[in-house]
Amino acid sequence: MSGEAKNTNELYALLRAELRHELAQHEQLITLPEGSTLIEHSVLPDHLVILNSGTVRVSVPCPRRAVSVTTGQQGKVFGMRAAISGELPEIDVICVEPCNITMVPRDAFLDLLKNHPEIYFAVAKVLSADLQIADHILRSNSRRALPSLRIKVPKPV
Amino acid sequence: MAMSYNFRIIEDCTKCAFREHRLFCNLPNKALGRLQDIKATSVYPKGALLCLEGQAPRGIFVLCTGRAKLTTTSAEGKSIILRIAEPGEVLGLTAVFSNAPYEATIETLEPSQANFISMTDFVHFMKDYPDVGMKVAQQLTHNCRCAYGEIRSIGLSNSVPEKIAKLVLKWAEQPLPASTGRKPNEVAIRVTLTQEEIAQFVGTSRETVSRVLSDFRKKGWLRMKGVIWTILDKDSLEDMVTT
Repeated sequence: MSGEAKNTNELYALLRAELRHELAQHEQLITLPEGSTLIEHSVLPDHLVILNSGTVRVSVPCPRRAVSVTTGQQGKVFGMRAAISGELPEIDVICVEPCNITMVPRDAFLDLLKNHPEIYFAVAKVLSADLQIADHILRSNSRRALPSLRIKVPKPV
Repeated sequence: MAMSYNFRIIEDCTKCAFREHRLFCNLPNKALGRLQDIKATSVYPKGALLCLEGQAPRGIFVLCTGRAKLTTTSAEGKSIILRIAEPGEVLGLTAVFSNAPYEATIETLEPSQANFISMTDFVHFMKDYPDVGMKVAQQLTHNCRCAYGEIRSIGLSNSVPEKIAKLVLKWAEQPLPASTGRKPNEVAIRVTLTQEEIAQFVGTSRETVSRVLSDFRKKGWLRMKGVIWTILDKDSLEDMVTT
């Protein structure tokens, strides 16, 4: 993982250098082609996925249609909620162009979290960002039944 | 314990009888002792504003008693209800962690007690007590689950009657205790939202809500008497809902 990505990733930005270093030992840096699935709904991910570059589509699948949001936010972390709670994700995250990602094994992250509970600060920040995306979808759609619900979320500051 | 608005004010978190059932407050005694020191207890009437959308974050609120609605403004400038917060929920977390303005206006739906903790105190509290971090993560996880549930509801519901039926059935998950004169298959619920608020919740007009509820009543599915609604035919409401 590049130094630049480390500084902009929403999880690592709040971690001490030693903790980042410890996680770095477990990291896998991968480039995925368009159409690859990073997170699949109802499937427990065994990694945290950090988007270093590229654009993904986050969608909430429903039987009639998917409510989706496109984001190209560098440094976005996916799979945190599933890692923390063990709950199955409700979303699909799919690359809409070639994406550079870092994968951190869930177990390695949870081990580190157990020994360094101060990481919960960073976890809370990641979960807050997830919630902001969800609220943005709700706000943009006002619970109206539209034929297609696709919106673009602005990159957070 | 002082009494106000027909509920007991919980002054001392360490002696709160509800804490074991609450998502956030079920903390070890030491942490509860600190919580007791840093929180400011307030009691609010119905319709009180705890914070405003766009306001700089000052801290978080622990809703001890009562319910509150989280309202935001849609892209078209309309008021929409994101969700209803229940007792025990921590409100304002997202703003505090992202250091961004509150994303919703929080307004009490009934007389409520909320404990306020300033941002600085809360950050120190979380640093000093690891359990607090875990509880915060659990609360945010819960909030995300609710939000995605609502989003799924957007994708699933085609009609306003279906959305209202779904809302009524959701409320029926917390029915009022059984009473004399009610048939075994009838479910009574307490609805404190006005028709205007229900409209904000499902994204329609008050007139449409009124028309749909009137239709439910005519069909013999629902009886409404003030804030007490009785579901007379749950099966028919369930048949309206896709999933």
